[in-house]
Amino acid sequence: MPGGSDTLHPLVWQPVPGTGSARIYPLIRKIDTVSSNSYLIATPDVLILIDPGGLPEQAEQLSQVIGECRRERDRPVFVFLTHAHIDHFIGVVGVPAFACPETAVFAVQEQGAEALERGDAKLTQAEMLGKSLAPMKIALPLFPRAWEVNCDIPVSMAFPNGATITITYDRSGTVGGLPHGRLEFGSGPALDIYHTPGHSPDSVCLRMGGLFFIGDILFAANPGIAGMYGWDQVALVQSLDRMLTRIDGGGITTVCPGHGRVVTATDAARMLSAVVTDARALSDIAELNRERAEQAAAFAEDCMEQVNELFTIMAGRLYYVSYVMDELGESDMADRMGALIPGDTIDELLEAFAAFAEEHHRGEHLSIHLALKAAQVIGKLGRAFRKEELVHIIDPTLVDRAGRLLSDYTTMFRGFNPPGERSGCSLVPVIEAIVTGLSVSSCSDEDMLSSADDDAAFLQVLLSRIGTRPLLEDVAFSFAAEDRFLPVFIDRDHFTDLVTFILEDLVGTGSDTVMLQVLRVDRHALVIISGNSTPGASETPRKRSFLAGLCARAGGTLTCTEDAGMRRFVISVELE
Amino acid sequence: MDITTTGRDSATIVSIAGRVDTATAPVLEQAINKEIETGHRHVLLDFTRVSYISSGGLRVLLATAKKLKTPGDKFAICGLSSEVHKILKLAGFTSIFSIYPTEGEALAGW
Repeated sequence: MPGGSDTLHPLVWQPVPGTGSARIYPLIRKIDTVSSNSYLIATPDVLILIDPGGLPEQAEQLSQVIGECRRERDRPVFVFLTHAHIDHFIGVVGVPAFACPETAVFAVQEQGAEALERGDAKLTQAEMLGKSLAPMKIALPLFPRAWEVNCDIPVSMAFPNGATITITYDRSGTVGGLPHGRLEFGSGPALDIYHTPGHSPDSVCLRMGGLFFIGDILFAANPGIAGMYGWDQVALVQSLDRMLTRIDGGGITTVCPGHGRVVTATDAARMLSAVVTDARALSDIAELNRERAEQAAAFAEDCMEQVNELFTIMAGRLYYVSYVMDELGESDMADRMGALIPGDTIDELLEAFAAFAEEHHRGEHLSIHLALKAAQVIGKLGRAFRKEELVHIIDPTLVDRAGRLLSDYTTMFRGFNPPGERSGCSLVPVIEAIVTGLSVSSCSDEDMLSSADDDAAFLQVLLSRIGTRPLLEDVAFSFAAEDRFLPVFIDRDHFTDLVTFILEDLVGTGSDTVMLQVLRVDRHALVIISGNSTPGASETPRKRSFLAGLCARAGGTLTCTEDAGMRRFVISVELE
Repeated sequence: MDITTTGRDSATIVSIAGRVDTATAPVLEQAINKEIETGHRHVLLDFTRVSYISSGGLRVLLATAKKLKTPGDKFAICGLSSEVHKILKLAGFTSIFSIYPTEGEALAGW
């Protein structure tokens, strides 16, 4: 987590700033989807556990610490959930210290409380994460529906664990419109609660002294989290704005997230501002449910196979440039070319994904985890990929397609489905432009001659000349369009990528005769690409699935056939 | 990945089975280097049973091509699967060293 602070030390009792008598024992975990951080607070009156986490061993560890505290001084135990996602609480199942209201009273915002009491697998994300969930008793629902009616009236409540508390939902304590309540457990410090829906409808933040416990809101706009069942963009933006106002209002020194390290209030405000910006851009995203996680996982595997191929080809092309430069005595330039793509790092990332995907097929990982793994790998590939430099050395068609594939996956995973921008255009000139780009070197003889007087310019042209190899330069290629007026509505970039992938597949696997025909058939334009087949050159089911998906994003449909030694791809696009 | 090395008609044939990836590319490089260091400078890589090559594998091929470029040296690859052929072709490697369909054609033609 950026901007981290060590203002709270893990697994150590330390004072809660601004309270005098309260102490806190933070259990801070490395970020994952399995379990949250936990924060145990001891006051003279009560033990408050915020988010016991998703792992039984974590809940057991906390149970032991709670036991030690109670032996020192017996006090009632309250468990507050920042929200009812299972990674924040499922670890308590089967741990006696949390088994019933006599031992621990659970406090959850009312919608989360109701979800837990009916064992709702959707709102708790149990369904998405493939976990079973038994109904749980929630003795203290927070922000009940009538809270605004009974505003400013202190209400005393007694619980089976022996505690009596006073709750006041008040407008006077509200800052920036953030719904607020105060819980008093006795003479010790009070606990302030704020309803902050968005990440989930039941999300709350809690404050004691200078500490502000914010649950998962820092991650609420992240791919794989935004769009989950119960996620609400409008509510999220409003909650974030109100939380920023609350932090600006003062009194908060340290912000404790549901996952990852604690941060200073200043850093948290900066991070929350970035989340607001991201969240504002997420209107109309699709719900991230189990079905979409499965689609994302399948798309991830289709994409990653092509990403793997493209990155290997690009790295190979740079090694080739490096080899030729070395032959020409330009060893410094050869070294620089070899370093433009960190091949080893990229190989390791892609191989790690392939291994994870195999484990997924053996049932060891859920679809959402494979989709998240792909997002993580693609994020790292994107950072390792110096597109701006590469397009001047190797074929821009390789670099652009790789960039678009990474972007397509991220866009799809964020919930914008399908990624694509279609516009009206004339089909034949689009295809002619693609064919020209694949037939002619990006650096002509004229370019070489005109740069001869300038060392730097000449070197750049030379690199590009070596690094780019027109795909169709050494095959017998023919193009025929019987009708030039074919207006279509397509995503031009994806269409270009599709035709390029198909031609590359034919030429790369050994076709030396390739034909491209454009026909009008009724209300459709057909783009037929065919080439002679070589043994073992048929597309794999994954490749077909990838091409069909790409064709759909481009605005058409695709059929692939193989007959009498010819491979044939037919792209059908509806005429405007 | 399994590597077996045999000699035939003054050529050293290095046959590889499996994936040439981050983990196995250095093993292949060592095996090839060992042959070159012991004076075997007619090297044919038999890729008939290679299902995958990573960028690390491509680098080994290029490093071998660099080592075997003095007059009289020979370096070729045979038996490429369509997937591996595609990678080598599109990376531009087919213009650096010779590629043959089979071992027999390689030994007859290089």
